[in-house]
Amino acid sequence: MARLVDAKLLYPLNAWFTSAELEDFLPTVLEQGTIDGRLYALGAFESAVVLYFNRDVFNAAGVTTPATGQSWSWPEFLSACAKVRHQGIEPVALHMNESADEWFTYAFSPLVWSGEGRLISTDGKRVSGVLASPENVRTLTAWQQLFRLEFAATDPVDPDPFGHGRSAMDWSGHWMARPHVTDLGDKLGVLPLPRMGDKSFAPCGSWCWGIARQSKHPELAALWLQWVTDSEHGIVPIVRANGAIPARRSAFAFFAEYAHAPYALFRDQLERSARPRPRTPYYATLTQRFAAALRDIARGADVERRLQEAEREIQRVIDRRN
Amino acid sequence: MTTTIRHSRRVAWAFLAPALILLGVFVAWPLLRAAIWSFTNADLLAPNDSHWTGVSNYADVLTDPQFRRAFGNTALFALMVVPVQSAVAFVLALWVNRPEHPWRWLRAVFFVPVVVSMPVLAVLWTMLYQPVQGSENGLINVAVRWLGIPPQAWLSDPPLALPAIAFMSVWQGLGLQMMVFVAGLQGVPRVLLEASRIDGANAFQRVVHVVIPAMRNTIIFVITVTTILAARLFVQPYLMTRGGPGNRTRSLIQLIYENTFVSQDLGRACAIAMLFLGLVAALTLLQRRWSTEERT
Amino acid sequence: MIRRPAMAWVLSLLTAAVFLAPLLWMLGASFREEAQIFHHGFGEWFSRSGWTIENYVEGWRRAALGRALMNSLLQVALIAGVGLLVNAMAAFAFARLEFRGRDPLFALIVVMIILPVEVLAVPMFFTARDLGLTGGFTHAMAGLTVPFFAKAFNIYFLRQHFLSLPIELEEAAAIDGAGTWRQFWQLALPSIRPALATVVLLDLLAHWGDFLWPLMISTRAETRTIQLSLANLFTQPPVQWGQILACAVIATLPVLALFRFFQRHIVNTDIRTGIK
Repeated sequence: MARLVDAKLLYPLNAWFTSAELEDFLPTVLEQGTIDGRLYALGAFESAVVLYFNRDVFNAAGVTTPATGQSWSWPEFLSACAKVRHQGIEPVALHMNESADEWFTYAFSPLVWSGEGRLISTDGKRVSGVLASPENVRTLTAWQQLFRLEFAATDPVDPDPFGHGRSAMDWSGHWMARPHVTDLGDKLGVLPLPRMGDKSFAPCGSWCWGIARQSKHPELAALWLQWVTDSEHGIVPIVRANGAIPARRSAFAFFAEYAHAPYALFRDQLERSARPRPRTPYYATLTQRFAAALRDIARGADVERRLQEAEREIQRVIDRRN
Repeated sequence: MTTTIRHSRRVAWAFLAPALILLGVFVAWPLLRAAIWSFTNADLLAPNDSHWTGVSNYADVLTDPQFRRAFGNTALFALMVVPVQSAVAFVLALWVNRPEHPWRWLRAVFFVPVVVSMPVLAVLWTMLYQPVQGSENGLINVAVRWLGIPPQAWLSDPPLALPAIAFMSVWQGLGLQMMVFVAGLQGVPRVLLEASRIDGANAFQRVVHVVIPAMRNTIIFVITVTTILAARLFVQPYLMTRGGPGNRTRSLIQLIYENTFVSQDLGRACAIAMLFLGLVAALTLLQRRWSTEERT
Repeated sequence: MIRRPAMAWVLSLLTAAVFLAPLLWMLGASFREEAQIFHHGFGEWFSRSGWTIENYVEGWRRAALGRALMNSLLQVALIAGVGLLVNAMAAFAFARLEFRGRDPLFALIVVMIILPVEVLAVPMFFTARDLGLTGGFTHAMAGLTVPFFAKAFNIYFLRQHFLSLPIELEEAAAIDGAGTWRQFWQLALPSIRPALATVVLLDLLAHWGDFLWPLMISTRAETRTIQLSLANLFTQPPVQWGQILACAVIATLPVLALFRFFQRHIVNTDIRTGIK
């Protein structure tokens, strides 16, 4: 979206939505659609990634979970993995076979953020010194441990090992909530993603709508946009169909499941700890190179060198435009 | 050969028109556009809003480590595939160039992978190359273990990924080369073979001294075409390894694709495309130079 | 060396089995249950359990394979069919008709033979878009086919064959009052039937496996070709290996069948002609 805004292809939406209406939206929805203080895109639904776990396996392995809504620190997470491994079960499914590059940036940047690092500078123009910062090297080396210690598979075959009972934890998104609830019922537990530092971060962000600047009747498009993001008429049907998370607070009233886990955690994260991915015109390159780096790091590449290589690749593309 | 029949000129142009228009619109005009864009800073989202930047795209591309890497990968791939595939195809052609049914059937067998499209094979071989995960692995690792070699992560181990793709590509394409060689073998004059047999040459000597020289143009043709086809590598790294691991399989065409749709830098993508075209043209000219003129 | 025909067959079959092992595995594994696909224990292959046609049923539904198959077949049929006419007409003009600039124009066409589609794909994409050849079904289908009707190599190849026809037949027909079109359509074209079959086959091979161009043009689900559907199953979660294999098998059978059908018309001499 930032790219489209940069190419001046989108209409700002502020004219058609009152601030009262906008307050009803989750803060992350607004943040992901805002560039330089102006709103360009709105979504009807949001997303979340959490750590699902199997209570039975945890009990058998003697793993205790933190209080509701609290996340594990990284050492605590590793220790839980070790205990599960001891039982002979794969500790955590990380979906490294995901062919969409976006999964990697989406699911693992919160680790980078909780490790007090960034993916790109605040002005969205510099990765040199940012992507391969000492904090990120530390964070991703710790992440690489999961593979070295064989806590997670580098080339999984099964797209849903957790649902098939082959892993104890699942680092996965809201879209697996329905299947997991069906498969595991009461045995299903959820935790926020583990954190590298003191603060926990959660992924967020999903599809959204914008209005093309070439539109001859933007007010009509805005009318449609208002309808599709309306709690009762727009959001409810689509969320009922796709199982995503409503983008507006008033829409939650229509979904009873949000009163308890795992859904309650999704909402809680989005309100408190979620952080949108960087809004920069170079996001496509950033995410593709970062994902490639993560894949190589998972397979044992030297973390610092690999991140520096990614830095160089991305910075080169940025520099050409400026 | 000229004709003695009178045909009206208008008719001639009528016959030519569809092809010429189509080639003009879809080949000549795009080529011109690509050439022009390569000298500008055209952006994918607004290609006509660009301005002239001279050869800066070319200078940037030629000094870009990504380009050098992609060029190196593509060249390495061609170096692995062309000799191996050509040699194996030639030997197979010698073997199956017999009129009996079992051998004619075998020719069709070798040709099957050529007919099965590359995307299908790319997906299939990704599964075949699946590394060991617990109790699961791919057929290649099963075969390799059977031969006493330890199983590998073929597509994710940096030194192995490109050779793995090359192996699969050789398997896919040797049927086509073999067919061309078979056709070429059948054009070797019988008299020469008979004469050398009478002179006491054994099979190997006949191949080296009679067959290969007689098939010179065919061999050069096959090698050139195979090299050009190898340079056009795209589907395998795109589907199987996404250019990794560690950028070891990213090909030139893949680089063009990514520059267009990810970095959205149209000018640069076209510069790479023009350089690629130069490469192909050079290879083709070499082929024409080395081929001796055959009587039609 | 191999005297008895039985020995020849045994050797031939063994070689075929080893060489085609990947494809045979693809066929067999497409009928295996998901959890069994990557298990290669010898006993498992012979057991009664673990076999299913679910992959085909689910894969067909999920990837709209029927639609994709139709799209691919239609695309290839159009390119081969219309292309045949377009290229043969041009080839006939270069072979038999006289007009100013004939030889330089032909030289230009020969130069176009080496142009790889990948170089042209990006600007071709813009041209196609400007001409309205993307989007809905008819438009996208046009976008997938029209740019490929005229092919420099096919023109070159067919011209060679037209040149090798004896001129006497056409002279006789001209004396009888046959116009250019009739000489072309009723005399020259049928006489080069094997060459036509070759060209159709080459087009089939080239475009059934088309990937880069459809990737750029077919943006909507209903315009996808079978290769794109396969790539989609391969990349969109949830990745179900059995369905992917089933789709791969379905993507292969038609072209094998078509190939068998046309192969009978090809003669070896054509390959040598092509080389020149």
